[in-house]
Amino acid sequence: MTTPATTAPTSALPAPRPHPRHEAGSDVSFGRVLKSEWIKITSVPSTVILIIITTVVMIGLAALLAWQTTLSLNLEGDPEMAAQMQGSSNAASAGLGIPGSGLAFGQLLMASLAVVLIASEWGTGMIRSTLVVVPRRSLALLAKQSVMAGISFVVGAGSALVAYFVVQPILNTADLGFALSDDGALLHIVNTGLVLALVSIFAMSIGTLIRNTAGGVVTSIGVLLVLPILFTVFGAGTEWVADAARFLPSSGGDQMVATTIAEGAFTQWQGALILGGWSLLLLTASLAVTRKQDV
Amino acid sequence: MIEAQALSKRYGTKTAVDAVSFTVQPGKVTGFLGPNGAGKSTTMRMIVGLDNPSGGRATVNGLPYPQHKAPLRELGALLDAKAVHPKRSAYTHLRALAATHAIPDSRVREVIELAGLGPVAKKRVGGFSLGMGQRLGIASALLGDPQTVILDEPVNGLDPEGVQWVRRLAKSLAAEGRTVFLSSHLMSEMALTADHLIVIGRGRIIADAPIQSIIDGQGAARVRVRADRPQDLLGSLAADGVSSQILEPELLEITGVEPRHIAEIAVRNGVLIYELTPIQVSLEDAYMQLTSQEVEYQSRSLPSTGLLAASSEGHRA
Repeated sequence: MTTPATTAPTSALPAPRPHPRHEAGSDVSFGRVLKSEWIKITSVPSTVILIIITTVVMIGLAALLAWQTTLSLNLEGDPEMAAQMQGSSNAASAGLGIPGSGLAFGQLLMASLAVVLIASEWGTGMIRSTLVVVPRRSLALLAKQSVMAGISFVVGAGSALVAYFVVQPILNTADLGFALSDDGALLHIVNTGLVLALVSIFAMSIGTLIRNTAGGVVTSIGVLLVLPILFTVFGAGTEWVADAARFLPSSGGDQMVATTIAEGAFTQWQGALILGGWSLLLLTASLAVTRKQDV
Repeated sequence: MIEAQALSKRYGTKTAVDAVSFTVQPGKVTGFLGPNGAGKSTTMRMIVGLDNPSGGRATVNGLPYPQHKAPLRELGALLDAKAVHPKRSAYTHLRALAATHAIPDSRVREVIELAGLGPVAKKRVGGFSLGMGQRLGIASALLGDPQTVILDEPVNGLDPEGVQWVRRLAKSLAAEGRTVFLSSHLMSEMALTADHLIVIGRGRIIADAPIQSIIDGQGAARVRVRADRPQDLLGSLAADGVSSQILEPELLEITGVEPRHIAEIAVRNGVLIYELTPIQVSLEDAYMQLTSQEVEYQSRSLPSTGLLAASSEGHRA
């Protein structure tokens, strides 16, 4: 159809369809809304660039840490010291946590992106187009959450996996190399992705509740990265504060990617329950609030 | 078909829409006319489920809009031309909307051409003019080839060619048996496009009738008469119980009597008539009369300068 609308707009109209309900095959489904959200996320260039940068920097940070670890080892010739830098109790596991060591940076970017994706829908007015097309709001929100969580998982686990292969030659110079089949190695890589996925759900839920990009970014970064620091400062003298700090979403994430579990600390799975619990709680709240509010 | 039953929207103590009930029938263009702030957009937003009604309900083709399995096939809406992410192109915007209903790319390209957006389809929406934004909004409203189309102020920002296009489009959609519901605060626009009119003011329905009957319903026919002896003519007419006004020494405005009857009386009394003009009530007049009590933001005339001059504080104003 190449006829300019200016000359023949009416003749270009399709045949009348007074009963569109009888047309099969065009019902809204979760899979279709997922595809729509995928198109939305991948069609804004700055989003795609941010995702690529996050992946590259996470790999780079892991390589940098590996290089620094081997360097200090080679200089000091003291494996114990390098191990302590990693918070590990022995040198063998010192390298295990390196592939996902860019996680803090990854969280910062992916949490911000998750907030931006949902808050910009309100900021630009796009949410009205979205919810006219998919009036079941929970369906629309869950699809967006799923696409972003999926992307975050791939970014986290993917960059950790690539970083694993990148850092092996570096670690081998200090005899710190390890295999994927080593105990905890693969779990660390997968959990790096899982933490990013859960953090993106956490942040996008906050973005949905606040509906404002700046406010949402500040709040989620504050809770994920600043709150643990405050708890550490005030937890130094007060036991209950230190105790409560273990239940922060960020603490849950830390335990998920830990390669050694200290005495009395939460395991990876318990960490997943804590971070997952927070994300689920906020997700539920965001769905409930959005269901009722006018947009 | 759109049905509203006692549809209400309150914001705190302020009532934006006050228990309105109406039916928008298929096969004709129904205009939704009212001054700014009358509740047009709020009503339309409640129909598509963006706003939750405080009371009552609205259905589209028999079901509340959000309950349809394929909502875009039932109703397409242009509510806000700026409801688009500015960094996306018109093409990807429509493709994202279409994906939710598995509407093929061929249909996306079809509505782009239909809306005359072909040359700018791959450009960022952020750089669009208001008129192009309107066209994109109309394209997205037609995407699902819906039975019912809602357009909120569709001619806003359009160039004259675009305005004509919207008029023809609305009429042709209605001619195909679709339900077309479009709002405007411009009565001249409605007079040209709509077959049926729902007039809203301060959240209440003031009129709901075919457009001609709204025009006809506003006061009896008025006739302007120029005669050499107006007093004699009026004296003879007074018996018929009609009202009249003398505008100029030889110019009268007579209400409530047919022009032919005036001419007959004039002939019988030997009065010379040199003008006899029936005055057509325009939709604009009808609308002003209907909504004069219902305007939310009424412009007040400034105090006359004479009063100010007389006032001792006049210099401060």
